[in-house]
Amino acid sequence: MAEKLSINQKIAKLNEAVEWFYGDDFSLDHATTNYQQAIKLAKEIEKDLLGLKNQIEVIDKDFTKE
Amino acid sequence: MPESPAFTVSEFIDVCNDALDLAYRNIIIEGEVASFKVNQGKWVFFDLKDDQSSLGCFLPLFQLRVPLEDGMKVKVQGVPKLTKWGKFSFTVKSIIPVGDGSIKKAFDLLKAKLEKEGLFDPLKKRPLPDDLTKIGVISSTQAAGYADFIKILNERWGGLNVQVAHTGVQGFGATEQIIRALDYFNQQAEVQVIAIIRGGGSADDLAIFNDEKLVRAVAASRIPVITGIGHEVDQSLVDLAADIEASTPSNVAQLLTPDRQAEVRNLHATIMRAKNQLFSQINFISSSTLGTLDGAKRQLLSNITAELSRLEHTQKILEHLNPEQVLVQGYAIVTGAMREGGEVTITTADKLAKATINSIKERSNNG
Repeated sequence: MAEKLSINQKIAKLNEAVEWFYGDDFSLDHATTNYQQAIKLAKEIEKDLLGLKNQIEVIDKDFTKE
Repeated sequence: MPESPAFTVSEFIDVCNDALDLAYRNIIIEGEVASFKVNQGKWVFFDLKDDQSSLGCFLPLFQLRVPLEDGMKVKVQGVPKLTKWGKFSFTVKSIIPVGDGSIKKAFDLLKAKLEKEGLFDPLKKRPLPDDLTKIGVISSTQAAGYADFIKILNERWGGLNVQVAHTGVQGFGATEQIIRALDYFNQQAEVQVIAIIRGGGSADDLAIFNDEKLVRAVAASRIPVITGIGHEVDQSLVDLAADIEASTPSNVAQLLTPDRQAEVRNLHATIMRAKNQLFSQINFISSSTLGTLDGAKRQLLSNITAELSRLEHTQKILEHLNPEQVLVQGYAIVTGAMREGGEVTITTADKLAKATINSIKERSNNG
């Protein structure tokens, strides 16, 4: 099973995917597939970003007492 | 009627103190400081007075967390006490300056002292951690500033674990609560940053953030501290001692988190960058291929031209070698039996003649 990546890891992966288009390894044969994968990853990150919730806990401790 | 048993003097003073403690526990008195002095480097004495009365006050020096001077207006919290010499005094537990003038005076005095000790040294400030996931918050959960902070935090980012220490944020007792919360987070060591949050208020409300013990606790925190206390114009000594001073509670949320909407815009820009580069690569390869084709076309034309030129040259040579050309210049071709009495045919440019050979002799090489 694939490891679940954090948003930052996904963003790093996307940046790496985009850099491929600028690198020496670029080839037209793989460009379409790589571009579609980058778009898919970007959509996934956007969904993650907009769906993230914070977990807010009020500590169960009375700070008025020593 | 039987006589009541007599108290000893000490017993009577103890009874009086018990009654005073019961009746006036943690009473707060406001007045002006007069006759301030420190005895033996350990004990602080001053009078608290108004225009009609004066009350002797006492506290150990280590409990004095606000600089005092005669003429300053303060609120003191403590208990009234009868000393063993029968004198009435007020034992002070904590002091807060009140009124803009006194607050400013106390602020300036303590600031100068702590600055000299290097508590506000910019070189000691630590940056926020890069990958922030756990935040400790010290605030009153009932305060508007806390609500603003949480609202902006939730709008901007998610996935954070936020632990909130609910404390007072003004008045007596609040400083101790905040210090305990700081200690709690530093001992737990689970959070990566501690945010001290308090919305706007009067100078009196915010005066607790100039408490010496609290300022020292903030400066000594192992975990970086960010403050959002009051409005943009307010600055406390706790702000100066913190690693990062935000202007407001909302600004703390802004400094701690990226904006998810901006991140989404960045994502779109990243994809656009890939798209532009892809088009650029296609254009490059396309123009490069066209360039190659153009080169091949030019080479082909050049080869054809060279070949045509060669053919033309050959044609000229052939034309030059054509016997008809020789005849046109006046020469004749003789064919037939080359012997005496033999018949030959003489061909010129425009005539054919038959002839008989009368004699033949050898011709010398030089003609």
